[in-house]
Amino acid sequence: AMEVIWWGRERRKLSSRELFVLTYGALVAQLCKDYEKDEDVNTFLDRMGYGIGVRLIDDFLARSAVKKCRSYSETADMIAQVAFKMYLGVTPSVSCSNTAGNEFSLILDKNPLVDFVEELPAERASLCYCNLLCGVIRGALEMVHLAAEVTFLQDRLKGDAVTEIGITFLRKAEDRKHKRNK
Amino acid sequence: LLLSVVCFAPQNYPLYIRSVPTENELKFHYTVHTSLDVVDEKISAMGKALVDQRELYLGLLYPTEDYKVYGYVTNSRVKFVMVVDSSNTALRDNEIRSMFRKLHNSYTDIMCNPFYNPGDRIHSRAFDSMVNSMMMQVC
Repeated sequence: AMEVIWWGRERRKLSSRELFVLTYGALVAQLCKDYEKDEDVNTFLDRMGYGIGVRLIDDFLARSAVKKCRSYSETADMIAQVAFKMYLGVTPSVSCSNTAGNEFSLILDKNPLVDFVEELPAERASLCYCNLLCGVIRGALEMVHLAAEVTFLQDRLKGDAVTEIGITFLRKAEDRKHKRNK
Repeated sequence: LLLSVVCFAPQNYPLYIRSVPTENELKFHYTVHTSLDVVDEKISAMGKALVDQRELYLGLLYPTEDYKVYGYVTNSRVKFVMVVDSSNTALRDNEIRSMFRKLHNSYTDIMCNPFYNPGDRIHSRAFDSMVNSMMMQVC
């Protein structure tokens, strides 16, 4: 099993940021050598991200000291404006994509993870290079009792116009106070 | 007039060749190939201390009647060779150096691409457009 160390704390220094981006790239490249199918690499990245997310959430909550989110919309905003900013230094824009209010899309204008990747190699056309991020978000949300599906809806590396992450919250958040017996 | 840009691996095979399209492209390839001997000569003459920017830039390798050939070697022994039209006397040493620096920087970006294996031929749009802009600028 591969263990990935999250370089979040050293993010502030520029040279560590490059090391982080290069490390992530080496990770993806190695996974591509280990697994023939793109879907397998994507799955593995997601799984690793999940392992990071369930641990990262405590770090995030401790460092950001945010109040509990009362709605899916607040949660999505929190992910985009606080978490992404804290760990990747970018702020994706958030929009709600359905009337039920549980599907959101995060549009990434800049993505430091793909700084050095010009385009996907031809034989890796369905690789979700940043799939680790989806796992991280999913794992982190699960630790605060929010089940969600997180996938890449669009990817600049695949030729789409923007990079878009879709978050679909699956169950209602357990934010109701336990009703007292009257 | 920048006629040709070639990038060689440490083992002296070309990673990237780009020439202004003419009927006689092979002539450029030949010129550049023979200039490798001069590069190797200069490298061995310099010894082990290749730290300074000045020493990375090898300068004019040799002039022919039509062309001037300039060379540049990195610490990792990757070599860049440029062929310039002899009639273009306006190109100063500084400009040549800055062109090599740009090449070197673009090469570094390619090395950082996790899907690029050192030793592969260079197929990069960013690199191509940088070389394009250099060739157009000098014309």
